[in-house]
Parts: sequence; C-alpha cells; structure tokens
Amino acid sequence: MSIIDNSLKRILRYPGVIGYIIFNKEGIPIRTGLDNATAVKYVGLLNQLIMTTRSTIRDIDPQDDVKLLRIWTQKYEIMVATEEEYLMIVIQKPTE
Amino acid sequence: MVDPPYLTETETIWLLDIPSVSVSEDSEDAETVKERNNAYTELCKNRQGNDKYVERSMQTFNGALKTKEVECDSIAMVDKAAMSTIWDMYDSFSNKSDASGNTVVSDQGNKADVPDSSSSMRDLNPKSPEQSMFSGSSTQLEKMACVLLVEEEPDHELILQSDKLKQDLAVMERVILANIFQPKLAAYRQLPVIEDCVQMAMGSKNSPSPFLEHLWAFECELTKGRNVTSMTWNKKNPDLLAVGYGQLDFKDHQSGLVCCWSLKNPMWPDRIFHCESGVTALDFSACNANQLAVGMYDGTIAIYDVQAKEQTPIIDSSDCANMHMCPVWQLRWIDHESGLAGEDKGEILISVSADGRICKYLMKLKTPNMTTNRQQWNSTISPLSPGLCFDFHSNDSNIYLAGTDDGYIHKCSYLYDDEFLETYKAHKGPVYKVTWSPFCPDVFLSCSSDWTIQLWRQDLQKPVLCFTSGQKAVYDIMWSPHCATVFGAVSEGKVEIWDLRISSLEPAIVSVTCPGVNPTALLFTSETDCVLVGDSEGKVTVYKLKNLTDGGSTQVETLEDVIQSTLSGQH
Repeated sequence: MSIIDNSLKRILRYPGVIGYIIFNKEGIPIRTGLDNATAVKYVGLLNQLIMTTRSTIRDIDPQDDVKLLRIWTQKYEIMVATEEEYLMIVIQKPTE
Repeated sequence: MVDPPYLTETETIWLLDIPSVSVSEDSEDAETVKERNNAYTELCKNRQGNDKYVERSMQTFNGALKTKEVECDSIAMVDKAAMSTIWDMYDSFSNKSDASGNTVVSDQGNKADVPDSSSSMRDLNPKSPEQSMFSGSSTQLEKMACVLLVEEEPDHELILQSDKLKQDLAVMERVILANIFQPKLAAYRQLPVIEDCVQMAMGSKNSPSPFLEHLWAFECELTKGRNVTSMTWNKKNPDLLAVGYGQLDFKDHQSGLVCCWSLKNPMWPDRIFHCESGVTALDFSACNANQLAVGMYDGTIAIYDVQAKEQTPIIDSSDCANMHMCPVWQLRWIDHESGLAGEDKGEILISVSADGRICKYLMKLKTPNMTTNRQQWNSTISPLSPGLCFDFHSNDSNIYLAGTDDGYIHKCSYLYDDEFLETYKAHKGPVYKVTWSPFCPDVFLSCSSDWTIQLWRQDLQKPVLCFTSGQKAVYDIMWSPHCATVFGAVSEGKVEIWDLRISSLEPAIVSVTCPGVNPTALLFTSETDCVLVGDSEGKVTVYKLKNLTDGGSTQVETLEDVIQSTLSGQH
C-alpha cells in the first residue's frame, strides 16, 4: 500500500501534473488528487469514451484489450490506463 | 424391382377457347357469313319506323349507404435493440466468469424507456442506470440469477493492493516523465534536433569550440548529500545504470546506498538497495545480466539480483573465509575461457581491496536457491601497500594491471601468484585508476593524486605522455569507447575531456562545477556520445559532448602517431 501511496505522491509532484483519479468500474473514485467535482466530471465523461474505445479494439480482435489511452488536447494531456477492475486517469500540462 | 414407368396420353383438356370473330375470305363459310352480315344491316335499316320494335327504359334501385366504424386496442410500441459486437459473441462463447457479467450490462448508462426484461433487475440493483439496450449474451442470464451484493470497501482495498495497479502506476509515471524530459532524452539518443526558427535567424550561438551540454541529472531526495563513488552500466540493457553511494575516506560513516536508475525515469530510481556500509565498487555481471556485485567500505562483497523485489542480497561474503577487512576499491566480473584445471569456466568475480590482496570469487550453485562463495586464489600485491585499482587486458585475460597506494603500477599475470611481470614507477602518489585503451592493445592510462594522468605503453618503463591540468588530485579517468584519442578525467572541482588530436597539453573541454561540489566519478556511454558525472552531492549529471571533432573512424592510427612522435621527440 505504501509503495502505491508513495508513487502517487511522487506523481503529483512532477512538473505539470494537475491531478490523478483512480476509480473502479462503477465510476466511484477510489483515490483522487483533484477536487471532487472535477473528479466526478472526468469520471463520467471518460468512462463513456473508454467503453467505446474498448468496444472498438475488441471488435478488431476479441482477445485484445485497451491498455493506455492518451489524449492530447490544446491545453492538457489526459492519460487513461485501463484495466478490467479499475481505471486510472492522469492529467498533465505539457511543459514547453 | 419396379416396372419401368409407362407414358400414356390423356384426352385433350381445353383450357381456353375464344372463337374468332372474323373469317377469312378464302374459307368455305365466307359466303354464308357475308349473307348473314348483309341480312343484319337490312334489319338495322328497317328498324327505324317499324312497329315491330319498341324502346323502353328501366331503373334499378341503389342500395342505401351506411357508415360503420371499428375500433381496436392501441398497440404499445416498444424500442428494442440488441448489440451484437464481435467481442460480445466471443465473450459469451468463451463463457467468462460470473463476476465480470455485471460489467457488460450495467455500464451502458443511458436513460431510456424501460423494457420488461430489465424491470426485475432494477429492483435488485437500484444504482445501475436504466437502459433500453440489452446484450443478448449469456452474461445477462447470469446476472439475473446472481444476487448483486455490492461490497464497496473490500473491493477498493483489493484494487489498491493489486499488482496491476503497481504496474500501471509505473507505466504512467514513465509516460509523464517522458513528456517532461522528451527533448533531453531525444538529444541523448542523438535524434536530430529541429532548431528553433528564431534562433537560426539570429545566427547560431554555437561556438566552434567543444563544450559539454547539460542534459539532466539523476537525483532524488534519497541521494541528496551522499557521495557518488561508482557507476556502471548494465551489460544487457544499456538504459539501466547502477550508482553506488558511499564515502571515500574514513571520516563520515554513512550507510551505503545502491540505486538502479533507468533512463526512462530520471526522477526516481527503479531499485533501491540499502547497504550497511558505504558502497565503494559496483559491477554488473555479463553472463547473468541481473546480478550486481557491490563492494563496500567494510570489505564485504554482496551480490544483488536486480530483477527480484527483495531488498536483500542473494549472497554476500560475510561467511567467507579470508574475506577482505579493508574497503573493496574495485570489482570486476571477468570471463575466463581458459581455465585452470578446467574449473574456471564461466564468470568469476575479482576484487581488489586496501589490504593489498586481489581476490577471486567463484559462485557455485549447489541447489537452485543456495549459492556458496568459495575463494580459491588470491595474489598479494604487497602486504604493505593497499591496492586501489586493477584492469584486465581486453584481449589477453590473463594479464592485468594493478595500481597501488604507493604510486606503483604492477603488471601481473593471473597464472603466477608470486611475482610481478613488470612494475611501472612514475606516480608520486596513490594511483586511483588504471585502464587499458579499448582500441590500442598496448596502451594504458593511469591517474593519481599527484595531479597527473600518465599515458604508458606496456613495453616502456617510462610513461609516454603526462597530462597535468590544475593542481588537484585526479580521481577518475575513462577512455572514450568511441574515439581512441579521447578520454575523460575528473578531479576536484573540474571535469575535463582530453582529445589528443587537438592538444596533449590542455584538455579539450574543461567544465568547472559549482563551488563546494566535487565530481567523483565519470562514465562514458557506449551507445551515444554522452558522459555521466557523479558528484559529492549525490547527483549524477548527464552531459552531451558537443562539437568534439568526429574523425569518422576510431582514430587508432592517430593515437599511435601521437605516441610515435612523442617518443621520437624525446630521443
């Protein structure tokens, strides 16, 4: 547990990182580094996107599955690591 | 046997008979038909005023109309859709476990009309959103059967402790750091850099003289304040660096630390090993690339398995007879092809320590879990002078050089314990490092605390060239693995890169460190043109060599020319 907590604390300290959210498959955040309102917003919207992505990838090959999704937007980069039991989202502002 | 079938003809069956209304003129009836036609026209003519014919009209009744209406029950319309994706069919055929059946159905979260099939589910699980889609897989049937008792807290704990989360976190950390460090890592890997247009317009500021470009530094709060004593690359994975932290002199007794840094994460080491006493020497094995040998200030040698999660060494030398009592200054894994009495096949570990002995350790595996350390051979350099460094010849692995505390460099053979083959006396202080040139087999370099670096040829008793710059002890030197005439040196307060093509009196690049911080270790990279410098504050800085003239080839001839010209100039 402490290894994971230490890693999460380290991630928050890296330059540009805005926050992280870990939530289970029902959309309930387990751990989050953002305020609750933003976290819930991200969770609800990204859950849909991940379902669609997963459906697409598994349609191509049912034995495959999505592992990591990176979305570069104009302001941020959103990285989503997906597993069967949980999802982890990290938002980073790219340093230029 | 059946009789063969008979075919008979039935009577002709008339289906349609429309008699014709016209007759050909050539037929026999033509005359009679014409006569009848004429008789008919006569009759029509006579009909006009004739009393035989009377006109009458009739009227029929029209039926009364009545409207009638019919009404039926309204038909309730229900939207039904079934999703059949390829993965859904695959899942139901491979019959996944019951637990995962929940995920498929309940996450299609749209509010819509309620079909009858999900109304019962609604009672069981009030939280799952209503839906109009259902997947026709076997998972739905299983969901209706199982009772959905969702236990929140143990579920969260399970996730937080799962290995997958640790792995994902590690990957995520590397992704974030790759974003941050991307330009530096690209420069390290020698990818072409796109110059900023503005800078090019202003005229490039690059001076033609060579310099060191700072890329990044490996450091974290664990290593702050610790002295870097040794660095080594992994033999199999060129991105993995092991750094040992400890003390170089007797003063402060710190506990030692070994960190394995990966290029993908410059802000936190991948592995951390705490050792009881300061670490003074490190080497990765070439045969088993995950074994790291660590030599310490109190004379212990430990071997760590970098792949395993444990923090303890696989084996250490504390239960070995004749172990070193003094700091182990250098360790090397050597691969001997020719063995003494056939025993020495494979890799052996050689160490030199301040008690004047060079020892050889053999690892023998009795059972898969247990290894024993057996020391078979040691050579005494001299009981009075501590040995500080050694280097085995790259071509002939029986010959090695050893540098001692009293300034002598001895050339010895692995096969004879008792005598030295040759002794080179030129240094006036302890020889800190001696290293064969990777390109010229006869040439070696040595550095010492008497402020000098000496270049020797193995057949000459006197050094060929002597390099001095500044009045500080030189702690570490290393030949460049790319160019035969380039080597790096680290002394108190300065990092120098010498290039013998340019000058043998002055270093090509001198980089002065911040006051108070002393660089203590130097390492070249074999794949790229970067150099790593470890300092007394615990930082390992990565520099890129810029503008160092690239001859194209390894410049072996140039080095030999330089040596020849120096020798002929001396006579």
